[in-house]
Amino acid sequence: MREFIELEIGAAKVMLLAEKAMYWPERELLFIADIHFGKAAAYRTLGQPVPAGTTVKNLQRLDALLNKYPIKAIIFLGDFLHAPESHAPTTIDVIHKWRKAHQETACILIRGNHDKRAGDPPTKLQIEVVNEPFILDALAFQHSPVTLENYHVVAGHSHPSFQLRGRGHQKITMPCFHHTAGLIVLPSFGEFTGGHPIEVLSDSRVFVTDGSGIWEPNIKKLS
Amino acid sequence: MSIAEIKVKKPLRKKTTLAEKWFTALGWKSFPFQREVWEAVARAESGLLHATTGAGKTYAVWLAALNQFALLPVKTKTPLTALGRKRAPVAAPLTVLWITPMRALAADTERSLKLPLEQLELNWTVGMRTGDTSAAQRAKQSRRLPSALITTPESLSLLLSRADAKEIFATLKMVAVDEWHELIGNKRGVQLQLALARLRHWQPELITWGLSATLGNLHHACEVLLPQQDVNIVQGKLGKDLIVDTLLPSTTDRFPWAGHLGLRMLPQVVSEIEQCSSSLVFTNTRSQSELWYQAILEARPDWAGLIALHHGSLDRSVREWVELAIKDGRLKSVVCTSSLDLGVDFLPVQRVFQIGSPKGVARLMQRAGRSGHAPGRPSRVTIVPTHSLELVESIAAQDAIAARRIEPRHSPSKPLDVLVQHLVTVALGGGFVEQQLFQEVRTTFAYRDLTVEQWRWALDFVKHGGSSLTAYPDYRRAIPDENGVWHVPDAHLARRHRMSIGTIVSDASMSLKFWSKGGSGKSLGTVEESFIARMKPGDHLLFGGRLLELVRVDQMVAYVRPAKGKKATVPRWNGGRMPLSSELANAFVDRMVAAAEGKFDGPEMQWVKPLLDVQIKWSALPTRDSLLAEYMQSREGWHFFIYPYAGRNVHLGLASLLAWRLGRIQPNTFSIAVNDYGLELLSATPIDWIKHVKPDLFSENNLLADVIQSLNVGELAQRRFREIARVSGLVFSGGPHAPKSTRQLQASSKLFYDVFQSYDPKNLLLIQAQQEVLRQELDIIRLTETLSLMRAKQLNLQCIKHPTPFAFPLLVERFRESVSSEKLADRISRIVADLEKVAGQGGHGANQDRQAEVQFGVSEPERVKRKRVSKDGSPMINRPHRKSGF
Repeated sequence: MREFIELEIGAAKVMLLAEKAMYWPERELLFIADIHFGKAAAYRTLGQPVPAGTTVKNLQRLDALLNKYPIKAIIFLGDFLHAPESHAPTTIDVIHKWRKAHQETACILIRGNHDKRAGDPPTKLQIEVVNEPFILDALAFQHSPVTLENYHVVAGHSHPSFQLRGRGHQKITMPCFHHTAGLIVLPSFGEFTGGHPIEVLSDSRVFVTDGSGIWEPNIKKLS
Repeated sequence: MSIAEIKVKKPLRKKTTLAEKWFTALGWKSFPFQREVWEAVARAESGLLHATTGAGKTYAVWLAALNQFALLPVKTKTPLTALGRKRAPVAAPLTVLWITPMRALAADTERSLKLPLEQLELNWTVGMRTGDTSAAQRAKQSRRLPSALITTPESLSLLLSRADAKEIFATLKMVAVDEWHELIGNKRGVQLQLALARLRHWQPELITWGLSATLGNLHHACEVLLPQQDVNIVQGKLGKDLIVDTLLPSTTDRFPWAGHLGLRMLPQVVSEIEQCSSSLVFTNTRSQSELWYQAILEARPDWAGLIALHHGSLDRSVREWVELAIKDGRLKSVVCTSSLDLGVDFLPVQRVFQIGSPKGVARLMQRAGRSGHAPGRPSRVTIVPTHSLELVESIAAQDAIAARRIEPRHSPSKPLDVLVQHLVTVALGGGFVEQQLFQEVRTTFAYRDLTVEQWRWALDFVKHGGSSLTAYPDYRRAIPDENGVWHVPDAHLARRHRMSIGTIVSDASMSLKFWSKGGSGKSLGTVEESFIARMKPGDHLLFGGRLLELVRVDQMVAYVRPAKGKKATVPRWNGGRMPLSSELANAFVDRMVAAAEGKFDGPEMQWVKPLLDVQIKWSALPTRDSLLAEYMQSREGWHFFIYPYAGRNVHLGLASLLAWRLGRIQPNTFSIAVNDYGLELLSATPIDWIKHVKPDLFSENNLLADVIQSLNVGELAQRRFREIARVSGLVFSGGPHAPKSTRQLQASSKLFYDVFQSYDPKNLLLIQAQQEVLRQELDIIRLTETLSLMRAKQLNLQCIKHPTPFAFPLLVERFRESVSSEKLADRISRIVADLEKVAGQGGHGANQDRQAEVQFGVSEPERVKRKRVSKDGSPMINRPHRKSGF
């Protein structure tokens, strides 16, 4: 069982992490897609009971990554806050506390569709907010999973998942990284976010994760 | 004698009732059971009336109500004289509620109820209020409700959620519950129990009558409807002749082994339809009805316009047209699903066909009763088997009917999701005080032993979203005010609650419309979103008996246009699959045991003999003392089959239990297939069945704990949670009419299940999901009995080279559950390694066979590998063909 898989995209060597994130060792950058902070809180405000604890869990998982790899900055590929109701003090205070504990780490958010409705995170969180595409070398970081000429795109938004089918009619659905020509889509990082099955293309490479391991199944026969 | 004295005397004189008057005018004669009901209601008593359909139940209860209440003065000072010659300016206020389980029945009931009103010139009005009622009609009703209101349990709950609920029911005198047998065993019935308790709280003198078909447990049915009351059980006419027979396949032509739609029987069915003036062809699924309708039309193009299709997903206008057309005798035949099981009397129907297993004795009798309504004509139902073993089911059903072994139905016990929904409903409908409502809820049968703890939890749930200790911040639905009266403070929440009242959970569905330039084409009906999601524009589908091409999908509407050509997919509607009832299963086992002893009485048994001979030759038959099991190895892995004949629900529980117990010996993942006869466990890794299948595998020790463990590692509880989450308002399903702003609330119940499992595992709704799986899906009581029966028998474990007639249907079953005791990472690693190996050989094709998927109508969209089938129809798996011998 592997904890990461190395991949070369747009002349950059990156690591796809079992923790549903991407790491760029050369630049010491961590990429997180679709964390959807405050989603449970938004549900509760609108009258749907969802237990508390998802925000704390998200932050713990970020902490684990910060402890494991040298990280100069975290780049959020959109959908940082789920909805306007996610600005609830209970959620923001916890994130604020976490942010203060990691002031040396820069945070950049590339706006996604949810951020546009929810509004930018409060300034006290010290998160730099930019519009897509965010370019570094030959890589373009976006929320929207669409290709961009002359760049290799790293994106989120679609919460990709993949169903593994084995002998004996077995099947397991899991979050995945989905790599096609000029584009890699990261799995959603957030707790309580769910996944959508991907459409496998002829040049697709799929990397499935269960949060602790990462595998690249041979999908040539499945497509 | 003074004038005053005469006035007093007049009402005391025995006079003819309205009922008698009307019957005399029509030249009808009342039945004793009708008079019995009239007399009971005259004494202000409640009760249950059971009789077959078409026996005259409706008029027994309706005329009893008219006798009693139609001549009461209506808000005017001058009392009305006998036949209301002096017409009062306003009709009588809401006096009678007529509850019907199906919207489709409401219109027909309305016609029946109106008939005597007109002829007796009564100043009463009759109206409907169901999900189909138009907004204009609703608005009119909200000003003044009709004297008799026909409604469904859901619409009744909606009325109870109105702030003026108490006032609108202030004049209510009587409730009639039609087709009570359809409601008693499910959560809709529980919803109604709660609603009746509310009405009785306001009107303690309320008279309630249930109308029911014959059930195995009438006293229970009565107790649930009328708890803590002395009641009348009135028995109507039951002596209707019932003929059940089987359409035997032509002897030379063998038909497929299983899982098929039985279209091989088409020529015979067509020729039988030909011979009767009017018939109903019942199928078990909507997809099957589409295919049969199309096939019959292809066989007899000249019947276009004479045959029709009827199922629950078709547009209401289409369904109503079909119903009227049968009544008027304009149709030769209608292919239908359970949508025509109930109510509406179709006098002209001469004969009923049942395609495939009837699944239960009561269900078969109900369907049979749809024919031969006219007095003196027998009801006749002909079973059309879709595979060989259904021939045995058919004769078993005849045995059971002859012995009057009819299924009982039981009220669910304390479903907390329904209670939670009811609390919000009542909070909206004028509010409630805790102690009073607790007492009221406990008067219902379903909640008669609701504990204070459970009640507190339900209150906390609507207040905090969880138990008070784990109060969810930002959340509130209903809260008590300073006087202790609970209300819903938020208007948005109130609206959303009203939109989601009900206990039927269906998959997200889309409406299907003809494409036209303005986008406002004619509506055809609904299809499941998941089905449309798998289609691309240009793909063809069969719907409502038409071949259609998908044009585009926009905002929960799928637009289509007529198409030409042959190939089309048939929508798959995920209906629940009904298990074989215990009564039918027992009768089936009796026939098998007889066969093992060499007795093949009846044409059905004679026909199925060759198949049973193969079963004996390759393996064995179950006997009174032996339990049959088989094991086999194939490309898919290591198979184990066992045949307890206890119905699919029990088999599912049993399979999960066996998988869990086997997995404790050695961590493993099993794929499970079940049918009504037996179950299959399939392992992708080698397993020594002889060594592991021992009597203690079937032990009752630790049964409950083991079953619960197996649930946690399986997928069942999660599926059941979906319904509970919806009913309790945890998941908002929205639907096509939901405003856009609510879409952001739609998360899958799986997501909810996972988040509750991780962050609030003690949540009572999770526990309820587990209990409901135990009670309903797995039927733990029947499971325990089955286990003890199994242990009492000798295990006959056969090694088979290829699938036997019993094993084959399980082998090709595609709707599977899985139970895993392995670590997730190990499972993934193994599958990934398998894929690697397979890719190397280039043998294992896993592409989806969409065409094949179409043929079955139910089950998951999953790849199916068509089994190689030899020329004579016997399956071949990893084995050279061997002559099957018949």
